[in-house]
Amino acid sequence: MTVLHAWRAGRVTPLGELYAPPRMTAALLRLTVQVVLVASLWRGLYAQSGTTAGLGREQAVTYAVMAVLASRLRELDQYAGRDTVQQHMHYGTIVYWYLRPLPPQHYYALRALGEQLYGLAWALAGYLVCLVAGVVEPPGSAAVAGVFALSLLLGQWVLHYVMLVIDQLCFWTLRNGAALMILLFAQNLLSGVFAPLWYFPDWFVTLSSFLPFQATLSVPLSLYVGRIPLSDAPFQLGVQAGWLAVLALLTRLLWRRAARRVIAQGG
Amino acid sequence: MSWRALRIMWRITRLNFRAQLEYRAEFLMDIAIGAIWQVSVIVFATVLLTRFTGMGGWDSSDVLLIPATRMLAHGLFVLFLGRMHGLGRSIQEGRIDAYLLRPLPVYRQVQLEFFPTNAIGDLTVAVGLTVGALGRSHLDWTAGRIAYLVAAIVGGMLLEAALFTVVACGSLRFPAADYWGRWLEELLGTFGSYPLNVLPRAVGGFLTYGLPLAFVAYFPAAVLTGHGHTTGAPYWLAAASPLLGVGAYLGARLLWRWSLGHYTGVNG
Repeated sequence: MTVLHAWRAGRVTPLGELYAPPRMTAALLRLTVQVVLVASLWRGLYAQSGTTAGLGREQAVTYAVMAVLASRLRELDQYAGRDTVQQHMHYGTIVYWYLRPLPPQHYYALRALGEQLYGLAWALAGYLVCLVAGVVEPPGSAAVAGVFALSLLLGQWVLHYVMLVIDQLCFWTLRNGAALMILLFAQNLLSGVFAPLWYFPDWFVTLSSFLPFQATLSVPLSLYVGRIPLSDAPFQLGVQAGWLAVLALLTRLLWRRAARRVIAQGG
Repeated sequence: MSWRALRIMWRITRLNFRAQLEYRAEFLMDIAIGAIWQVSVIVFATVLLTRFTGMGGWDSSDVLLIPATRMLAHGLFVLFLGRMHGLGRSIQEGRIDAYLLRPLPVYRQVQLEFFPTNAIGDLTVAVGLTVGALGRSHLDWTAGRIAYLVAAIVGGMLLEAALFTVVACGSLRFPAADYWGRWLEELLGTFGSYPLNVLPRAVGGFLTYGLPLAFVAYFPAAVLTGHGHTTGAPYWLAAASPLLGVGAYLGARLLWRWSLGHYTGVNG
């Protein structure tokens, strides 16, 4: 029965996506064009220079293309389904999250998991096509592939918690649109989606090492392309696990505090 | 547009601004968004310029003129015509049906839906970057060049508005088409801020003739800095970028009128 509930909650957003053909077509086209553009850009930039910031041409292209593919992992539009925390706070329907037999934190996690798995199918299909087409390089060894998979899992988990904190903000501020946008920019910039962090000045790299964003994408991709050697992997995985633990405790505390703020009409 | 219409727009804008002040934290963060987004574009461009010097054969002070032009054009677009972006939600929620009943053009009502607080941050950073870019520029800023730069910024604003209006026209039929708008914004931010001749010819051609991003800032900056003959497009076409913006906007407004005429709401 629990599995059935989990399945029903998890498939809500992906199903919404399947019922919106223009969004599916746009997603496919967007991903294809973005991959071609990003690969062309980095190849063009490397045409007149050799290894830069410890990254060779193929490493840079692989990193950039995989960053584009990874951005597909959490991109579903919950807003269209009127199921964002902000919308529930705005319409007052957040109270139903607390009246169901499924606790709100479990419902939220299941929805996120469904999205994540749906996004993973897209990213994986894109990765295989890019691998066959020779756009991205395969991992250096089976050990690198294994460490990358583990690091990506931890990274996405950290990202889930970061997004959860922003959603939980709604319980205090009612709106989180601006915070979400700031998070998106910070995530793209500080996790290396725009450009690998290795190209940035030292002060920028030091600053980002104190934030959880680089644990989400920069670490797994750097492990994959070999910019972070396998010998450093245990430390990096430890940092990711550390962020995971801190954010898990924080979000748990926030769920508890948030529950005290939800009052049904009539008290 | 009559004087009375202008007064109504001004009054609604003032009310919208006060409405934005209702949520203070959100208001301040909205301003921060604009600034952060633009700063991230600057950081990206600076990183590329530092690591890959002589990008596309352009001097770094010349390259800076591209993001400066694009950001100013984008900031003005967000301030005056930016509500076209994200219109799908208004359509989905049925607000557009109510607009059809009111004695004010629908396009104008859409623009007056809310005050774009993030434009304050956008424009602040854009003006800062433009001042910096002009300060570092070795060009002789004659009246002709300044006039062309102003025309290019206005043209860029109109071209961006045209692109988002076309997406909004699509949203009138399929509200989910709004997704294309997000992609367009991302493309403009990522590929609109440096010389496109670093890209392969086919890709550069796509960003010129397929999705005309090159006309927003790259071509005007190329003409101003003397790179107009190396863009891969005819010089006259690159030089006519501001005019193309005006033409594209007028065309998009005609498409909007036609699309609105064929719009069927929930009630048919």
